[in-house]
Amino acid sequence: MNFNLLLQLLVNGIIIGTLYGVVAMCFVLIYKSTRVVNFAQGEFLLIGAWVCWALLVKFQLPFWLGFPVTLVFMLIFGILLQVVVLKPLIGEPIISVIMVTIGLSMFFQSLMSWIFGGFAQPFPRVFASNSVDILGMQIQPAYLMSLCISVVIMVGFYFFFKHSRMGLAMRATAFNQQVAQSLGISVKQVFATAWAISALVSAMAGVVVGMVNGVSSALSFFGIKVFPVVILGGLDSIVGAIVGGLIIGVLENLAEFFDAQWLHIGNMYTIAPFYALVLILMIKPYGLFGQKDIERI
Amino acid sequence: MRTGLISTTVALAILGLASLAPAADTIPVGHLACYTGPTSDVGVPYGNGVADALNYINAQGGINGKKISFETVDYGYKAPEAVATYKKWMSADAKPVAIQGWGTADTEALVKFVAQDQVPYISASYSGHLTDPAGKGSHAKAPAPYNFFYGPSYSDACRGLVQWAMDDWKTKGNKAKPKFVHMGDNHPYPNAPKEACGAYATELGFDVLNPIVYSLKPADAKAQCLSLQESGANYAYLGNTSGSNISLLKSCSTVGVKTQFLSNIWGWDENSIKATEGAGDGLAWVVGAPPWQSTDAEGMKTLMAISKMSDSGGQTYRSLHYIRGVCGVMFMRDAMLSADKQGGITGPNIKHAMEQMKDYVPTGMKGVCTPSTWTGEDHRGTTKVSVYTSAFNGGKFTMKPLATVEVPRRADWIGW
Amino acid sequence: MATGHTLMRCGQFRTTYEADTTIFPTPMSRNFAIGAVVILILAPLVLNAYFLNLLIQIGYYGIAALGLNIVVGFTGQISLGHSAFFGFGAFASAYLNNRFGIPVFFCIPMAGVLTMLLGLVVGIPAGRIKGLYLAIATLASQYILEDFFARADWFTGGSSGAMAAPVSFFGWMLNTDKTYFYVVLFYVVVMYLLGSNLLRTRDGRAFVAVRDHYLSAEIMGINLTWYRILSFGISSFYAGIGGALFGHYLGFVSTEGFTIIVSIQFLAMVIIGGLGSVMGAMLGTAFMVLLPEVMEAVVSHAGGASQGMAQALAYIKQMSIGLAIILFLIFEPDGLAHRWRLIKAYWKLYPFSY
Repeated sequence: MNFNLLLQLLVNGIIIGTLYGVVAMCFVLIYKSTRVVNFAQGEFLLIGAWVCWALLVKFQLPFWLGFPVTLVFMLIFGILLQVVVLKPLIGEPIISVIMVTIGLSMFFQSLMSWIFGGFAQPFPRVFASNSVDILGMQIQPAYLMSLCISVVIMVGFYFFFKHSRMGLAMRATAFNQQVAQSLGISVKQVFATAWAISALVSAMAGVVVGMVNGVSSALSFFGIKVFPVVILGGLDSIVGAIVGGLIIGVLENLAEFFDAQWLHIGNMYTIAPFYALVLILMIKPYGLFGQKDIERI
Repeated sequence: MRTGLISTTVALAILGLASLAPAADTIPVGHLACYTGPTSDVGVPYGNGVADALNYINAQGGINGKKISFETVDYGYKAPEAVATYKKWMSADAKPVAIQGWGTADTEALVKFVAQDQVPYISASYSGHLTDPAGKGSHAKAPAPYNFFYGPSYSDACRGLVQWAMDDWKTKGNKAKPKFVHMGDNHPYPNAPKEACGAYATELGFDVLNPIVYSLKPADAKAQCLSLQESGANYAYLGNTSGSNISLLKSCSTVGVKTQFLSNIWGWDENSIKATEGAGDGLAWVVGAPPWQSTDAEGMKTLMAISKMSDSGGQTYRSLHYIRGVCGVMFMRDAMLSADKQGGITGPNIKHAMEQMKDYVPTGMKGVCTPSTWTGEDHRGTTKVSVYTSAFNGGKFTMKPLATVEVPRRADWIGW
Repeated sequence: MATGHTLMRCGQFRTTYEADTTIFPTPMSRNFAIGAVVILILAPLVLNAYFLNLLIQIGYYGIAALGLNIVVGFTGQISLGHSAFFGFGAFASAYLNNRFGIPVFFCIPMAGVLTMLLGLVVGIPAGRIKGLYLAIATLASQYILEDFFARADWFTGGSSGAMAAPVSFFGWMLNTDKTYFYVVLFYVVVMYLLGSNLLRTRDGRAFVAVRDHYLSAEIMGINLTWYRILSFGISSFYAGIGGALFGHYLGFVSTEGFTIIVSIQFLAMVIIGGLGSVMGAMLGTAFMVLLPEVMEAVVSHAGGASQGMAQALAYIKQMSIGLAIILFLIFEPDGLAHRWRLIKAYWKLYPFSY
């Protein structure tokens, strides 16, 4: 048994897993406050990555300027999306809203490949070195950046939900929209905030993935990839999203390890997390951290 | 307002569905392209090549004075939509006499239909089983009498690469048995040459390792790179398309893998060289035609004239896929020309004319399109595999030929 | 009520339970349905291969979409793995024919049954998991099955796919669009009648009860686990039949055709058509199949010969499909079936409607 390889794969899993966790967190944020399953999450990553790419390459902005501008753009984009498309749907069956996000995903995917073309484009070089050594594992510096930003975002989320007025309003809305509204909380504003934050954080993840793999329309696949992560952690738990991300990340790499060393089945890297997902759900039907619905008749 | 909107749409739709009447005395040809689907990154240049070449033929006076009328339809890599488009064409007054297709999805879905309707189908799906017009090969599934493609099949291309790898291994003075591994997703396209190529590699004296699976969707692949490193493979064949190969090579260069990578025709191109920024330097891959402006052969001049059909300035760089698209059309043009002399431009006549070609290069395409041979029993256009390698050079990338490998044209390899 | 049998009535005057649980709510609607089938039987005489192909597409997708509507619309469980069942049906039918030489005619229903068995197995988590958690569990089954298709050489031909022979009926080959159309039409009529009938049965009512309020349903003695799993089974049966028809029409079945994108498309068909409506499944399928064709037609009219245009239009076509779905749901969140009911109500009360 090759312990060195195992260790390297574990480190890799944790680092990739954090990124999954961040995207999953965006997903949970929208679900928690609006009950909408956002199928266009991957497109948020895509748009963020392309916008940042355009700012850096076409407008020649330096990264420290281009990146924040991208985030501001996505903030506005999220709000606009809510106002134009999703606001008219408040009160409609939730499944229609979900379908609308599918429509949005089709729309933006074609729009992006129309504007930027179908080719993968390399991201301008931001970090001087190509790889960083962590416990013997060589990783791209962009992942290290994402790790740091993720931690900052998580801490930020914690304080936002725990101590800010808006955070409290969002939690209240998540708990019960009608009651929240009757208490004077502007539900529309809460929804807009949720979409805006989600778009912004996804854009960050998109930029990181773009830096590593190049920007291409395939980025949007990330949106579907995080579904198991979200569910594993529990749909309405932000901590769960992070833990779920880590578990899936590590699981993928462990599966690759056992597959390559002994099993030789092939493709366990992508499939094993799904088997694990079904198993975990059978044992804990609300994910690891999800809230069990207590229903009263 | 809403009813107005709906009725306008319906009216437009009826208008659109009803009319498809090409002018008389033209040769109808269908063109299925993938401009928006998952394969659009390579589908766009290939489709552009096909469209430009068809327009060029018309600008040169058509086929003995008859213009080609063609319609380009983007089917988004969805087989049912490709079939629907095909049916639309076949039920029009002027049925296409030949179709320029695109990838695996449309080609496989239409094999049966084009054979029924006798329409030659020239596509960019180089699947081995399409080379078996009679369905008699040892691995035959079903005959594909009306399918043609330009270039070596996926299997032959991979065989060519292993043959090159063996030569490379020996020239470097290695004595031990080299290790070969197939990498790719568990998916029809990457797996197409897996068995055939593995068998040949074993025959040549390679130690064939367990295949490594990595996703067709570009994603971090460091885990797979670590497995590859661990396995100690000397040569790794990348079966996926360029997008996911870019991620894989970047991941592998981060991890520090030293394996010699090999890639097939869709796995590597100018754009991937740029996108990997040096991570893919030294990779050996299969090329269907010499790169843009790399020779001053007669064919390159024609090609530049063709390129001007959609780019009058002549400034645009055309990728390898574009050039292959052009070659596919030019073979069809010459087949049409000779079919016209032998009883008229019809599907069966075009097929017959294609099958008469022997080491044939389309007029004006010397030095660009590889000489190809088709017969009634064997649709392997060529088994000559040009192996190239590339270097990034900080953006001013170069591509240079490594070798031209002649893969044996074995009878039992038909359709495999 | 003597005239009621020929004219559409302006109210529901039912005096017996039997009258309330007929397959067709009014004689008028029954006549309409029979009329539609008759027109469709005559359709191949007038329509060309292109339109027949579209009708065939609507047919096989429509059967599968009705299956999805049973699980999503009637029982209230979201399924994101429907295209895997659709694919399983296609592979199973091809396998039964290729391996055992069973005539294709019998393979299609057998494929349906096999897919149903698979659906019952895959549906087991539904006994414990609810809502979106279940949706993602079905997503997992989608990926697991897709992987299985690419791996199981003995069953699916592995990654190179399987050949599916054309349907033959006692030596009579049904391999043209005209003849195959009747095969599909036959299955559409049978499956849609079965679907409508399902709602009249104890099982159908149980499904609706589970959807509307599962706790009340359980209190009333409905076995939740069994009915949830059963709805997956029935839904898979429909998917299997639809998939088998799809496979034998194309003649070639490959993993590539059954991705998550197709599953999402099925969901789109059901939602656009209207959840919980048998008719809606068909309307939604027609919408999703015809939309790209209509867009293509519009685009090819607007499109010049220039190549940049052709490409831009391809993207615009793709975008407008997304946009059409968004706009449609903003204006009609309850689906086409609802719109259809409104139109009917308008004519029922004409000229006193407002």
